[in-house]
Amino acid sequence: MEHIRIANDWFKLDNAAKIFPAISTKKETNTFRVRIDLIETVDIDLLQQAINLILERYPMFKVRLKSGFFWNYLDYNERPFVILPLPQRVCGSLSPKEHNGYLFQIYYWNKSIILEMFHSLADGSGAFALIKSLLYQYMLLKGLKISPDNMILTRDSLPTVEEYEDSNLTYYDPHNHKHVPEEKAFLIKGTPISDGNIGLISATISTKDMMDLARTYQASVTEYLTALMLHTIYITQIQYREHLKQNQKPVKIFVPVNLRKHFPSHSLRNFTNFVKSGMVMNRSDISFEEILIETKKQFAHGLQKSELIRKMSENVSFEKNVLLRATPYFLKKFVLKIGYNMMGLLLNTLSFSNLGKIDFPESMQPHIDKISVGVYSGHYNTVNFGVVTYKDKFSMTFTRSIVETTIEREFFRHFTAKGIHMTLESNFVEEYR
Amino acid sequence: MKYCDKCHVDVLTNQKYCPLCHQVLQGEHDDTWIEPYPKFIPLRREILPLTKKIILFITIVAIVTLLVINLTVWEGKLWSLIPIGSILYVFMIVRYGVLSRQNIAFKLALLTTVLILLLNMIDQQFTEDGYKGWAINYVTPLALLSCNVAISAIIWIRRIDFRDYIFYLLAIMVFSLVPIILCLFNIITVAWPSIAALGLAIFILLIIVFFFPKSIKDEIKKRFHL
Repeated sequence: MEHIRIANDWFKLDNAAKIFPAISTKKETNTFRVRIDLIETVDIDLLQQAINLILERYPMFKVRLKSGFFWNYLDYNERPFVILPLPQRVCGSLSPKEHNGYLFQIYYWNKSIILEMFHSLADGSGAFALIKSLLYQYMLLKGLKISPDNMILTRDSLPTVEEYEDSNLTYYDPHNHKHVPEEKAFLIKGTPISDGNIGLISATISTKDMMDLARTYQASVTEYLTALMLHTIYITQIQYREHLKQNQKPVKIFVPVNLRKHFPSHSLRNFTNFVKSGMVMNRSDISFEEILIETKKQFAHGLQKSELIRKMSENVSFEKNVLLRATPYFLKKFVLKIGYNMMGLLLNTLSFSNLGKIDFPESMQPHIDKISVGVYSGHYNTVNFGVVTYKDKFSMTFTRSIVETTIEREFFRHFTAKGIHMTLESNFVEEYR
Repeated sequence: MKYCDKCHVDVLTNQKYCPLCHQVLQGEHDDTWIEPYPKFIPLRREILPLTKKIILFITIVAIVTLLVINLTVWEGKLWSLIPIGSILYVFMIVRYGVLSRQNIAFKLALLTTVLILLLNMIDQQFTEDGYKGWAINYVTPLALLSCNVAISAIIWIRRIDFRDYIFYLLAIMVFSLVPIILCLFNIITVAWPSIAALGLAIFILLIIVFFFPKSIKDEIKKRFHL
């Protein structure tokens, strides 16, 4: 096979990625997964061939993490990539020393192809670009008649600078980076699952039902689900206990925003920011409608262009800080760790990633059943939530590092109470002890 | 497919209980069904952590014993430093040389550096006058020289992508300058080992500069980017 080697075969970590190697541990893995269920059983040999073929197209993913004196960097990885059967551990740590140094892993299980990726490498958009290319290549090898329809980066195209640039550094504004201090958030407590395992419950409902439901409240799906999540946390964790001291902190939902929708970027690396929706829940009669109004307001404010740029520039100016840059990495690591523990980790109750609608070419759609996404859960953010839409299947996935499923139960019962048909999948982590 | 009549959801599984409410699910067991998520297999009790613990335990016990004996039968010298240093060095060989999965050039560079420091300590503290200086005169430059030869040989023989190794090779070369500088300050009294070490370092450096100029530049750029 022809070997595409671009002149630049190493990459600086992008702005968002710089923090993750320093703060990730076996428990806080900072990985996420994308799962695609096909109609037929996966052919393992063909999948391995497909990933071998497609990886050369993605120089920014065919890398491993190496340590430099001031910063880590991603260097070309000449070792082979090997696909593995799906382990029970959800979003386990992708240690730089395992998986031949690759920071992502492709798993197969029966009819499913699962991609788990360390957040230093890319965000959800990058992961989906990769898995789309992989699926396309896999189906080609299988001999199916499919066409890319300009939706898929195929092996014939060449990687471009736009794909591996750090768009944060392209679109930030050096004059708009004011730091807005934040309050610590309410944290969901529970019994940790043994061995640091993660429980996963994934529900599928009809996309149309979901849209109709959001429409009755004149809200977007993300706004609606965020408000519903706040409400669920309120009724399961806080209501009638709101006077207690530990319940005075605001409940805050961290919602990543795909900046490619706001800026003309084609980057396959990290280019996301966030909106936070939160509320101090110190009354016993907070209604869902009240929360939704507040959420809409916070989304409108958080999604303003100037606000997005401010948050992006805040991160970039931190990275560009001369003092921090000139500190050797082994010291910098501690600074990043302490800073993140103080400022990042404790500021969110739960993170809710909506990957939006995933499109496949018409010719590929009959072979794909459904898609779901999941984010790791750790010591502080014990429950996380990922949502993705594919055709008429709206998938909602909870990952949790605690045994209790109260939030999941209340959240899903909200839909079933409205008569919406729901199908569940779970990894049944509680059954294996 | 099973059904939970409390949560009113379909559950795609053969398991008995609802994942949400843990009540018994309705529906038949389907033998052809494959669970969407694999079964949890508990980790095998790993041997390695236990081995590490035993090694660490023995190391610490030995060190404490030696120190106690040394202090109770005090004869004016802290002789226990020699066995303690050796034990720590063996511990390092096991921990960083054998059990670690770092690349071999790093291991060699690290272990050589520590060995040099250890032997110099022994030399300074315990060698009788008139024989002092063997570590700094002979061991230091010759150990650096062998380390240089070893890393170059590994790169040569194993034909691996030397980008991983070149950084450590460069580090050892920089260290090779130290004996020559000490020589200029008359701390080292026997010059030929230092000159040999420097000569070899320069020879290898010239090979890299002439035949792989880009890789050395790239590697420095990568490792030291701000």
